[in-house]
Amino acid sequence: MATMKFLCDTKRCIECNGCVTACKNENDSALEWGIQRRRVVTINDGKPGEASISVACMHCSDAPCMAVCPANCFYKTEDGIVLHDKDTCIGCGYCLYACPFGAPQFPQKGAFGNRGKMDKCTFCAGGPEETHSEAERQKYGSNRIAEGKLPMCAELCATKALLAGDAEVVSNIFRERVAYRGAKNAAWN
Amino acid sequence: MNKWFKHIGLAIALLFSAVCLANGGDGQAIQPQAADAQIWAQLKDGATGYTASQSEFHAQPINTYDLRVLELRSDWLAPALMAALFGMIIIFVLFIKVNGISKLHHGFSGKMVYRWSKFDVSIHWLGAIPCLLLILTGLVLLAGRFFFQPWLGEGFWAGLVYGAKQVHDVMAIPFMIGWALMTVLWAKNQLPKMYDVKWFMVVGGYINFGPFKGKHPDAGFANAGEKMWFWAFALFGLIISASGMLLLFPNLFEPSRTLSLIALVLHSVSAIVICAFSIVHIFMATVMSEGGMECMVSGYCDENWATQHHNLWYDEIKANGTLQYKE
Repeated sequence: MATMKFLCDTKRCIECNGCVTACKNENDSALEWGIQRRRVVTINDGKPGEASISVACMHCSDAPCMAVCPANCFYKTEDGIVLHDKDTCIGCGYCLYACPFGAPQFPQKGAFGNRGKMDKCTFCAGGPEETHSEAERQKYGSNRIAEGKLPMCAELCATKALLAGDAEVVSNIFRERVAYRGAKNAAWN
Repeated sequence: MNKWFKHIGLAIALLFSAVCLANGGDGQAIQPQAADAQIWAQLKDGATGYTASQSEFHAQPINTYDLRVLELRSDWLAPALMAALFGMIIIFVLFIKVNGISKLHHGFSGKMVYRWSKFDVSIHWLGAIPCLLLILTGLVLLAGRFFFQPWLGEGFWAGLVYGAKQVHDVMAIPFMIGWALMTVLWAKNQLPKMYDVKWFMVVGGYINFGPFKGKHPDAGFANAGEKMWFWAFALFGLIISASGMLLLFPNLFEPSRTLSLIALVLHSVSAIVICAFSIVHIFMATVMSEGGMECMVSGYCDENWATQHHNLWYDEIKANGTLQYKE
């Protein structure tokens, strides 16, 4: 099976936030107000060395969220996608502390750290509910993987900065780009 | 048309290098776009930037921390808490089977001596009952997925861990109040004295065989073992309360993610220490020391218990006339 990964090419990302919008629109049914599964961060904004990068759950092979969850609600699909069960999630927030990418988010901010059920990028692969069921749509959003499609964010990226797919395929595309980048007459002819 | 583009391009390039020279000063042109390695280095160092997202921590693409925290929890802290609870119980049961309990040599006198006020007894239970619940629910939260979940159904497990979290959150408040009151109000009776060393040398006189048999070391209001428990409870109670507050009220204290992970580790370490001591404390009071439990039920202790276990305290209150018998 494939090992699904995201890759964002900072040389191509133009901070249009198209991926953010695509994700929000695609998974709208599951997203409570204020939650966005994907974001674009621009470092050195307005200064030399400016670079934008689209960040969401990176579907780590040794996911820290999975390791730290007291409820053990995370699981990995055969495609290497890290998903979680919202029925088992207790909203403790440990995954948010452990995740290097700030991917897990919580709908409420209450006393006692009551955060509600965690939400994060599913690689548009739904969740543990029956595929394409109403429950899956309400809790996790769309399931494009089951339809043989890739995540909406990468599919709609205008500059193809954000790539999604099997790690090997995605990294080969990126490697090829890097090899041809800076070639003579590549830009001004 | 193509030529026209080239001219504009050249103009922009010249303009940019001029700006760069003006900025750089040392004549070295700054790259308009950073190299991949540079960007990666900045991101790995935890660079923050601009983002349209309002969500927590979203301005930082990568938060770097020591990933050994994760193994520490699963490989060391979770088994250690299991050992602190069940291991200590097994050790104590075996110890009592081999050694027997500490009986009152002269039996119960029936005369009850005032030892704790009603208020003291109530703050003890204010801390103690939540403490027991916190240990059990904390065990589910730290070690449950490794030791209990494999034998439970998914639905039951989900309910158990959710219930554990809720109880753990609520019980934290009375525990902290109990901890603070006990620590502050009882500290004066818990100061170490020279005779405490002798108490440890004979293991408190609780060993019923070998060279320690029949020994009765001196003890004041509290014996050396109780003092050790008190100060461990005071210190680790402070750490567990402070780290717990960070985890319980993230909106109030706004800890960083790394600080929260550190708090999680400190919380677990303190829990292991307090849990092990609690088991010993409970065994001593209920099973090991005959007549000991009465102190935290009525606040009075049997006179024979007082002379056997807290001789210096008994002599002192008898001498200064503060000895009070139950009506």
